[in-house]
Amino acid sequence: MAKCFALIGWSLPVIESMQKTGRPFVVVSFADFEPYAAENNIPFVSYPLDEWSDTSNSIDLFEKLKAFDVDVAVPLYEETVEWAGALNSIYRGDPRVLNRAFLFRNKAMMKRKALIGGLRVGLFEEVFNKEGVKAFMKRLNQANLQVDGEEDSWVHIKPFASAGTVGHRLLRSLADVDEKCEDSDFPCLAESHLPGREFSCEAFVNKGKIRFLNITEYVKLGYSNFIPEGKYLESKRDLIHKEVQKMIDIFGIEYGMVHPEWFLTEKDELNFGETACRIPGGHILELCSKSYEFDALAAFVISHDPNITEEELDEIFPAKDFKPKNYHGNVMIYPHKRQFSKLEIPESLNNEPYFVEHSLIAPYEGQKLSADRDGFGNHFGTINFKGEDPDRMTELLKHYEKEEFYV
Amino acid sequence: MELTSDKVFTNFDQSLQEFIDSGTLTKKEKAAKLASHIDILSLTRSGLAFLYSKSVELDRAEFFKGTSWNDPDKLVPYLVKGTLKYGHPSSSFETLSELRMLRFAKGEDVHKVVSAADAQSFLEEVIVHNLEFALREPTEETRMRMPERELKKAFNLFGFIMSEMDLKGVYEKLIEEIRLICEQRPIRTSKARELISLVNRRFDTSGNSEKDKAIRVYIDALYSPSKGAKANEGKDAYSEFLKHADEKTLANEALEMGELMNATGLVSGYQAIFLKHIVNEYEDLVPICLDLNDRGIAEWEKYSELVSSLILETVSWDNCQCIYGLARMLRKNLFSRRAVRVGLENLRRIKVNPQVEKRILKSLSNPDAEVTALQYLIGGTIKVLGQPLGVGQGNNPTCQSARGISMWSQHSPAKLIDMIITVSTQNNLIMRFENQNLISNNLIKGLLDQLDYNLDVVSVVMVPHLDKIYNEMMRLSTGRLDDPHKWVNPAMYGQWIQVGFASCYDYMSNSIMDFPGYVRIFYAAFHPDFNGNQHMVYPNPVGIFITSNKGDMIGFHAVSLLRVEKSPKGEVRAYFLNPNNEGRQDWGQNILPSVHGKGEKKGESSLPFDQFAARVYAFHYSPLDVKNRINEVPAEEIQKVEKLARESWGKSYMWNQQTKLW
Repeated sequence: MAKCFALIGWSLPVIESMQKTGRPFVVVSFADFEPYAAENNIPFVSYPLDEWSDTSNSIDLFEKLKAFDVDVAVPLYEETVEWAGALNSIYRGDPRVLNRAFLFRNKAMMKRKALIGGLRVGLFEEVFNKEGVKAFMKRLNQANLQVDGEEDSWVHIKPFASAGTVGHRLLRSLADVDEKCEDSDFPCLAESHLPGREFSCEAFVNKGKIRFLNITEYVKLGYSNFIPEGKYLESKRDLIHKEVQKMIDIFGIEYGMVHPEWFLTEKDELNFGETACRIPGGHILELCSKSYEFDALAAFVISHDPNITEEELDEIFPAKDFKPKNYHGNVMIYPHKRQFSKLEIPESLNNEPYFVEHSLIAPYEGQKLSADRDGFGNHFGTINFKGEDPDRMTELLKHYEKEEFYV
Repeated sequence: MELTSDKVFTNFDQSLQEFIDSGTLTKKEKAAKLASHIDILSLTRSGLAFLYSKSVELDRAEFFKGTSWNDPDKLVPYLVKGTLKYGHPSSSFETLSELRMLRFAKGEDVHKVVSAADAQSFLEEVIVHNLEFALREPTEETRMRMPERELKKAFNLFGFIMSEMDLKGVYEKLIEEIRLICEQRPIRTSKARELISLVNRRFDTSGNSEKDKAIRVYIDALYSPSKGAKANEGKDAYSEFLKHADEKTLANEALEMGELMNATGLVSGYQAIFLKHIVNEYEDLVPICLDLNDRGIAEWEKYSELVSSLILETVSWDNCQCIYGLARMLRKNLFSRRAVRVGLENLRRIKVNPQVEKRILKSLSNPDAEVTALQYLIGGTIKVLGQPLGVGQGNNPTCQSARGISMWSQHSPAKLIDMIITVSTQNNLIMRFENQNLISNNLIKGLLDQLDYNLDVVSVVMVPHLDKIYNEMMRLSTGRLDDPHKWVNPAMYGQWIQVGFASCYDYMSNSIMDFPGYVRIFYAAFHPDFNGNQHMVYPNPVGIFITSNKGDMIGFHAVSLLRVEKSPKGEVRAYFLNPNNEGRQDWGQNILPSVHGKGEKKGESSLPFDQFAARVYAFHYSPLDVKNRINEVPAEEIQKVEKLARESWGKSYMWNQQTKLW
């Protein structure tokens, strides 16, 4: 069992879950959080995680954490993956652990590794300016045997190292490149459009093997999802399990949790989108905890522990043959209008048997959305549903995603 | 709405358990989720009762920790309304906090600092500050600001508190409230009746204090307006009593009833029975029973045949309030106008369109089974004609329509009757705008989504059509680079409206332009010191900025400026009709429209002239008459108004100093 976990970043739900497990941990985060940590008796090391210098580096942090007897580092969000990787390299005496962390932080490198290992990926390239994107799109058009007058092939561009949908742009034509791309987008990854139905998995890995695989059904990317997966994806569970394990083998991932996104085609082929190794957004682990009746946040942390025993692992995760009784889903509510002053919760929601609760709040008078939203921006609250029928769940999530809550 | 199942309760319990089980770090997040259950539960009576039973448990689980509700002894009754208006989650926390207080007040739980008496007086204050929720009659501002669901929550909460709590301390305040409502002589008396009934049911009014005496007048007016009614309670007993009563007894009854009606503006069902009993056999008692003045008596003598038929056909136990309208019609000599008489004769003979009939019946809370929709309609018409300033818009955004009905009733009663006949028989209305006929049934929706039926009968009949036509006129005049009301008001209300129009808002520059020039016209047109001491003849439809009690801009509203005159204390005041059911408001900057005691006629609101000017954004005037007087308005007056304007709604606009050619 780990002597002490270093949780790098800040997440109250994770900290609370760790408190409940009674396992030793220390939080490493910015000085801003220190007073709160002190007030709530949270073991804490303040560290400038946004700085890399003679006084702020992994060796220095390693020294500071010695006092806590830390032997496992866990990243709580995207930007702390390298820090955790560097520390774990030291703890495990394996420099490649850090390199692997870099893999998660560079989408081009990640794709290349996936391609070498034999995962299905799209055509991709690092691009440095708009001309580069156009050239990429033209070559793609050529490869797709475009005839005069036909539409251009779709291209996605993504920053190398951002979480989820931040900075992601879909370009449908050469004209789009000029219209939608900013000089500040570059350099980045350009990639052909992957066909198929998108979903994500959360694979909890220990000693290189999947200990528990969660599949999240996306109803609308960035807006709504539910767990466990619906009937169709469930019928493909073995295929998905195999492919995720394959990815883990290719990347050489030994400990922690990966959150890959896939596209499942009608021919049962899985296209690899990308993967992260941090806590996914959209309250996914919360839903996962409810459906599978375990503490997914604690499990996320503990699966990073190389010294944990099989028995201990069995205690944390749901039984191998566990069947969730209910589907748990949520929809994140974004205002559809630019300006609004009231929160109006539709009557239908009160009477909806699947409805559980919401976290919506009223806007302040005449609230406006700023024009520059990144990714999906901040949602104004979540509505949670629970029920036995995945099709009804899908229907509800679709319905309430479109409903106007802010007027 | 009723809850479909016990699922809401189970969900709540689960969420509460999660909240209790959570550590300090995620308490806040769990509390937010728990609040969403409170939000739903507070929509129903059974939900509130459930929350009431849980409120102290929640409190002990530290649901309020880290919020402004944490220390119940530090809560301020005056702030409750604000949090309720703010919406969820604030309103849900507030709801629960009140329920907790109610438990303390009733001694069902004990708080270490807040005594039962403290909790009691806190809740009393809360009720007094929130009568609009307690009586389900929200103000203009509240209706604009609160979503329907939140209104429902507030109504429900106060209904619950009022039924559970000892209301003694609210007594005096309620009496004052009743007096001020009745002083305004609304046509729709349900609010006053509910309040009086509430006081009657929940309080001991038998004492000898001034307050006790005052409230007994209102209670008597409704429940025992005469010695006979007191001794013979109930319709049947009273009818029986009348059969055997001698003329002297009847004369006494007539006198008592007439006086009470005139003092309160309220009519009791007994008066209906009485009036029908005497109208043929004891004609001479009718003027006494209606408490008529000399002009009214002369009018009655001349037209007693028509008036008697109207009484016999229209008046009933439930349809009694129209007796007051009838008395007022007689006092104003409306029957002397041939057009009015003919109109009423016509109205008696119409067949009401089934759709209209449905609307009428829907607006009644306790209709007499034997009284037809037509009878209610005639009664309603009499009320509107007798009390033009008693028209209200109810919970509808239709101030323009209400203003129209009131204006026609005052200045063109026969035209109004005619319109009522057309709409009642055809469920349709045609009005002309510029060169087009606007047929209401061919028009798209107006401002109104769903009519609130808490309205007088005439409004229920007319407003859906007037609203659509008004809206269409507005639509047709939009985009003309000036306020559409400039064209709509004269077309909508009639030739009484002056064609000159001034608005301080400039469409081209999207700013408040030449405000001093604009105010100067307002003074030169209406202020007796600067308009050659001319009195207003017709109401003037003016647009005003509605501001909150902090003076912040909230929205627009339509009122009618009726007259500008010196008050009994010699102050020049603007007297106006606010079709919002409640004339007393707080517009911030100490601008508090008064409804009583400052020279107001029943139903009027009034403000010092400069304060009124500081809220008006558009009005009609006669450019020819004003031309030579504009420069006589002193600069200090203008500055006073401009200061008030700039420091309130003016903060929401750009101001443009450019001079405008008016």
